[in-house]
Amino acid sequence: MIRVEDEGDVRCITIARPDKRNALTTDMLASLGAAFEKTGSMRACVLLGEGPVFCAGFDLHEGAHDERMSALRDQLRGLSRTILAMRSLPCPVVVGAHGAAIAGGCALLGGADLVLADRGARFGYPVVRLGISPAITAPFLRQRVGDGAARAMLLDPGLIDAEGALRIGLVDEVLDSAEQVRHAAVARACALAGKPGVAEAQTRRWCSVLEPVEQAGEALQVSLDAIGRETFERMNREVWSR
Amino acid sequence: MTNLAELSVQGAVARLILNRPDQRNALSTDLLAAMHGAVELLEQSRGVTVLVVTGAGKSFCAGMDLRQVLIGDDRATWPGPQLLESLARFTVRLRGLPMVVVASVNGAAIGGGCGLACVADVCVSHADARIGYPEVDLGLCPAVVAPWVIRKVGPGKARRVLLAGGVMTGTEAHALGLVDHLAASVDELAPLTERLVGRLTSGGPTALRATKSLLNALDGSLDEASVLEGARLSAEVLGSPDAQRALSARRT
Repeated sequence: MIRVEDEGDVRCITIARPDKRNALTTDMLASLGAAFEKTGSMRACVLLGEGPVFCAGFDLHEGAHDERMSALRDQLRGLSRTILAMRSLPCPVVVGAHGAAIAGGCALLGGADLVLADRGARFGYPVVRLGISPAITAPFLRQRVGDGAARAMLLDPGLIDAEGALRIGLVDEVLDSAEQVRHAAVARACALAGKPGVAEAQTRRWCSVLEPVEQAGEALQVSLDAIGRETFERMNREVWSR
Repeated sequence: MTNLAELSVQGAVARLILNRPDQRNALSTDLLAAMHGAVELLEQSRGVTVLVVTGAGKSFCAGMDLRQVLIGDDRATWPGPQLLESLARFTVRLRGLPMVVVASVNGAAIGGGCGLACVADVCVSHADARIGYPEVDLGLCPAVVAPWVIRKVGPGKARRVLLAGGVMTGTEAHALGLVDHLAASVDELAPLTERLVGRLTSGGPTALRATKSLLNALDGSLDEASVLEGARLSAEVLGSPDAQRALSARRT
């Protein structure tokens, strides 16, 4: 359900589970992480979603009714590993976030250098309603949009639209349709891959040195520690019993 | 005596109203003392997940009380430095509250008042509100609020706003990122605030507290040293002849 296609020196990774709005399972997150970890001589990566929605977040039905919520914990670990892998790459990462990028799906934007979206796209972290803390994404999101906007997004379970996402810097470019987003994302990745490789790699590395993500582990731990009775009861009521 | 900072709690939602409308809710030592008292109650409260801060009347908060920042005849009894220190300590206390803090900026939010809007986790306002930091126009230094403006809109934009002085409209403040959600008019602010409060109270209290606590750790919000240093610097500039002349001219 994670498709990896290398064309020339551009890697195109597609989340392909359109009937479930590309909801991420533990296995998918493992594949996604691996796709960003072993990129060999690739000069750019692009991440897309199949179907109308980029990614609706975790598959919350995985491990349903499990009081220990092991699946959710594994998903959080997989997500953290994936975003770190995206950030650690020498080559740039473009994300085509069409339709919706929700919770874990929105967190993936934290690993990107360039994010494209369509006019109708929605972004946010409604999982706090389920007693899940999106803290895991905070170190990455605040680097992308700043502390103020990150705070307003992570504490508010509401969604923001593409215009709002562009205003705060979560999204870099807004296009008319999902199809245009997919095409343009690949085109931007190809353009980046065409630039002298050492310059791209060193610039990306230097940006990470100047703005390191030192608290990724701490943030993951906050999300893991916040899982408890409140989460179980809300997941049972809002997700598993429906 | 009227309650200068009116705190009410209904279920999971607390409201703090700056209640000095005849002085545009300007920050006096008394008002700040009342605000500290309200926050102290909230620090001990259980079950409150959202706090909404707003102003009584047409203004949100016009900043420092001009009468108290003028030195007058007796420098020894001048409350300026104490006022700034009280504001500095208040900002850190407000930020450190375990609940989500919303600033509902109903009207003018100037200087220290605009600082409070930046300390809140989420700031909502309307298109016609007057918002900004005109301190430098009056020969003052917005040193206490500077760390909060930097956190809210980023260092580049903060520099522009703080050094340029003047005020902006709610619409401009929204474009800048100082206001997170904008109502088209003052009449639409209350419903916008209520919708936000409804969303925030739907969140899991444990998850919200954990998220906020991490955000405070990541941006160093609870470091009192920088705002107290700001209060000292701000008091020093405020006490200078330049500033006192500009403020006297403004008052008359």
